[in-house]
Amino acid sequence: MNVENVEVKDLHFNYGKVKALDGVNLKLPGGAIGLLGPNGAGKSTLIKILLGFLTPDKGEGLVLGYDIKKQQSSIRRYVGYMPESDCLIPGMDAVSFTSYLGELSGMPRQEAMKRAHEVLFYVGLEESRYRNLETYSSGMKQRLKLAQAIVHDPKIIFLDEPTSGLDPRGRIEILDLIMDISSKKDIQVLISSHILSDIESVCSYVVILTKGELASQGKISDLKQINYSLYEIKAFENVERFIDGLRNIGCKVEQTTDKLIKVYLPPEKNPQDIISIAVEEKTQIRHFVKSQTSLEDIFAEVVGVD
Amino acid sequence: MPIKEKGYAHWDGKLKKMKFPWKPITRYGIKLTFKKKFFKFSFFLTLVPALIYLAGIYASEKIEDFSFLTRDTDTLSFLKVDPKYFSSYFTNEFLLFMIVLLMVFCGAGLISDDLKYNSLQLYFSRPIKKKDYFMGKAAVIAFFIFIVTLIPGIMFIIMKLIFSGSFRFLASFPWLFFSVIGYSIFITTFFAFYTLFISSINKNRRYVGIFIFGLYFFSEIIFGIFFGIFKSKYFALLSLKINLQQVGAGFFGQKPAYDIPWILSFFIIIMICILAAIVLKRKIRSVEVVK
Repeated sequence: MNVENVEVKDLHFNYGKVKALDGVNLKLPGGAIGLLGPNGAGKSTLIKILLGFLTPDKGEGLVLGYDIKKQQSSIRRYVGYMPESDCLIPGMDAVSFTSYLGELSGMPRQEAMKRAHEVLFYVGLEESRYRNLETYSSGMKQRLKLAQAIVHDPKIIFLDEPTSGLDPRGRIEILDLIMDISSKKDIQVLISSHILSDIESVCSYVVILTKGELASQGKISDLKQINYSLYEIKAFENVERFIDGLRNIGCKVEQTTDKLIKVYLPPEKNPQDIISIAVEEKTQIRHFVKSQTSLEDIFAEVVGVD
Repeated sequence: MPIKEKGYAHWDGKLKKMKFPWKPITRYGIKLTFKKKFFKFSFFLTLVPALIYLAGIYASEKIEDFSFLTRDTDTLSFLKVDPKYFSSYFTNEFLLFMIVLLMVFCGAGLISDDLKYNSLQLYFSRPIKKKDYFMGKAAVIAFFIFIVTLIPGIMFIIMKLIFSGSFRFLASFPWLFFSVIGYSIFITTFFAFYTLFISSINKNRRYVGIFIFGLYFFSEIIFGIFFGIFKSKYFALLSLKINLQQVGAGFFGQKPAYDIPWILSFFIIIMICILAAIVLKRKIRSVEVVK
């Protein structure tokens, strides 16, 4: 397998006057990759382009070595896609549905049927595989969508909000399946999700988009170490002035409901600067801890969500 | 050990580039149609005219055996098997009515269900092009219409030859075989575009069914109203049914029921197909494939 299955250069795409993607450059390694970004960041547009549904206005790219502008059909033969919204074909049972979509991907009929049974067992739908799809619960539909995405044994799987609408147990089970799939070294899983904890539990690499631009990308562990110093502070007296002072030196400050102050310290500053401002503003520091940065913190820092 | 505990397993086959990617769409479309309530009954009813006309072909060869039914031999002249016989089968009102009914059962949900249940994104995330998708859906319609047009038409010719025991019939009307094929393709093409077009404009299969039925009969009513007021035969061109019948008469070399060149009706039907194709192309393109 190539180290980079997905590579795009200077990708631009506009919906009329609205810039959806503005010069995105990406090289994605194998394994599970999280695609993050607020609404309107360009995640869906990027997936549409990678799947070959949309042709970029400018830029170029390769998915599995196939040109995203010219070889869209070939790309779709070797990728699996699990859409966010519920989708089914009424009147079918899970076996027919899964084998049908396997056939459409290019599997021989008998093989598709055999493989459909296997993947339905794999995703835990063995008991209900002959039930009409319209009677399925949300959790079962989610599993079914995963089954149809992997039936033809794709080399890349795009998962769009794979855990949406699931109860906590169902969520854990789907994430376990995704982790198991992505543990195969020759399958790449690209997950677009708003649930950051899901991404953090499954992915080792993230791509963060904001306003159509690439805000950050890299291994989660590297991003945590290199870019951010997060401190949790509990302060007393002149808190507002203290927070303003921190903001004036370039820190991003977030205050939680239990009055915990989260301070994202820029790399050029050091913790002593926080203490100096507290002294200046005559603020008592009662709790000062260097926090373990989570993906949520990275996302908040990069995207600028307070 | 259960499969899910063994972990993800690769498939050891190889994905092929399909020659006819629309074939699975058609096969499953036909399979699902047969699962629909009342479909089998209405499909059987659609075959009734074919059975009657087939019996007529048999009777035409044994006309003396049936002469006891009437004193006047002219009464049995309708049993004469000639292009008019074929024309009357292909353009009879009951058959056209039953084809419209078949479209309600087999065609109404073809695209509207995909729109309602967001299945388009599943199709188009596969190596399926828009033309393959339409082809697959249209072939479902073609399958059912051919069973009540093309197959009986060819059967009539074969049975006539078998019952008569000579090739005289074929020698007298060598073009009839091509007329059967031509008109079957024509009527199938029209109903495929007509049904898929209406199926693509609404997500509710029931409304689509009503539209398919309604539009067909509405065109007939409109013709009736205008014809009643202005007494002009050209208003017959407003009726889908009459246009199909006019073209049918043309294909089988018969005098059309309305004294208007059948080629006009032919062009009207072709125009409807072209318009339907344009709308279909736009409607399916405008669907968000990835939300």
